Amino acid sequence: MDEGASVVEPRSPVPGRVGTTAAVQAEALVKHYRSRAGVVEAVRGVDLRVEAGEVFGFLGPNGAGKSTMIRMLTTLLSITSGIARVAGVDVAREPDVARRRMGVALQEAGLDPRQTGRETLVLQGRLFGMSPRDSSARAEELLELVELVEAADRRVKGYSGGMKRRLDLASALVHRPEVLFLDEPTTGLDPASRLTVWDEVRRINRLGTTVFLTTQYLEEADQLCERLAIIDGGLIVREGTPAELKAELRKRGGLASDPTLDDVFLDATGRTRGHVAGDVQEVTA
Amino acid sequence: MTQAWVLGQRALREAWRTPEALLPTLFIPLFFLVVNVGQAGKIFPAASTEFLKGQGYGAFQLPASLLLAASFGTAALFLVEDIEGGYFDKLRSAPIPRTAIVLGRLIAELAKGLLIAIALVLLGLVFGISIASGPLGFVLLVGLTALWSVVFVGFMQLIALKTRSAAATNSGGLVFFPLLFLTPNFVPRDLLTRPMEVAASLNPVTYVMEGLRSLILEDLVWSDILPAFAVVAVLGALMLALNVRLIRRYD
Repeated sequence: MDEGASVVEPRSPVPGRVGTTAAVQAEALVKHYRSRAGVVEAVRGVDLRVEAGEVFGFLGPNGAGKSTMIRMLTTLLSITSGIARVAGVDVAREPDVARRRMGVALQEAGLDPRQTGRETLVLQGRLFGMSPRDSSARAEELLELVELVEAADRRVKGYSGGMKRRLDLASALVHRPEVLFLDEPTTGLDPASRLTVWDEVRRINRLGTTVFLTTQYLEEADQLCERLAIIDGGLIVREGTPAELKAELRKRGGLASDPTLDDVFLDATGRTRGHVAGDVQEVTA
Repeated sequence: MTQAWVLGQRALREAWRTPEALLPTLFIPLFFLVVNVGQAGKIFPAASTEFLKGQGYGAFQLPASLLLAASFGTAALFLVEDIEGGYFDKLRSAPIPRTAIVLGRLIAELAKGLLIAIALVLLGLVFGISIASGPLGFVLLVGLTALWSVVFVGFMQLIALKTRSAAATNSGGLVFFPLLFLTPNFVPRDLLTRPMEVAASLNPVTYVMEGLRSLILEDLVWSDILPAFAVVAVLGALMLALNVRLIRRYD
């Protein structure tokens, strides 16, 4: 097995960084739901460590536990057992302290369609305790960062999907968080908008923010993430850099050339291309 | 409190930018006022009906219209939109007291309730209704109506937070209609049949209606006014507590 990549076992902290505060850390994290059918074990004991300054990708098929994980880490969902820390703060014990140190942009691009882009950002600043003057200045800065200055005074309901995503990103950055959580930031976007969001994520990361993103697009993970983990059935089944994971599969499978991240994903989740194609046909029938 | 206030301002912008949701709260109560007075006005002539205190039947009916106007609870439907669109999670991920999330909408509802009550009462004045309790009575009248709208939207928000469904929240609002009719809305309580009088006496809406009516028909009668404010204070505190509890447990 290639050094650095892991199969099933959680990854150890990055050498040389042991003892430093991780940007995101989960220890034996568990989430159980009660449903009519009984107890659903959405996350079944996840250990995870994301170092400060990383762009970390969290992958998995639908229903694997990605969104449940991100919602627990961002204080939006209660934790059944285990510990989650963001920027060293226990999210269950000190949720408000943790909230001040993280930015959150969820799958739905949580925006109020009746407000303008500028109002959205100013309000977000006020909620994080900024004065009216400071929140207006910060809104202006962010509108420039995500290139929405011209559309700033238009209502959000008239924005395109890409513009909404960029505004949502900006609103997650209002309070200069140390860690930014992005839940499927490019789902539903056209290719051009997707590339723009990628550029924004890279730019945000260059400014020093740790990025934790979930995605279903393996190309996105390959392009953006320094390290990634694959979750399936509520458990981490692979963790490492994209190169490490590909090299590990190449070695284990005796392949002539490096596999793609798609191959790593299919191998990790026990799916085959035929199985996936079959699933799609069932949905569209 | 600052955060509740900025969220209240946002909720007011939301209402201002959705006039189609606001206009029925004025139009429908006016419609019922006109219809009820048209149907029963001749039965209760001002000159010979003691409980009208010299005014027309419209003055007696105005409280029912004010309560109806304050019982639309459209803010709860906006809350469902926030939940469905993900903005509610955005608020929950901010370091603000959960009370502020609830209070923001309630502050906006109070302001909207005041505006609608003032508009309805002013329209009533145009059509000959007078406020016998004077300027202070006018303030208490619109204040009590607005406070009731806060209580009612608090109740609707409970349904919204519990069900996260616009359809269920809308249906929940219909609960108010039986409560509005289990009141002395056509005649005073002592003229109701015994079973209806018992039902009306158990219904908290009755005391709010009697408080409003007293402010329109009589000088300041504190024995009618104070129970009305006590009802909205108790129910308002209960709704606030239940809303905050639900948001804290919201997963």
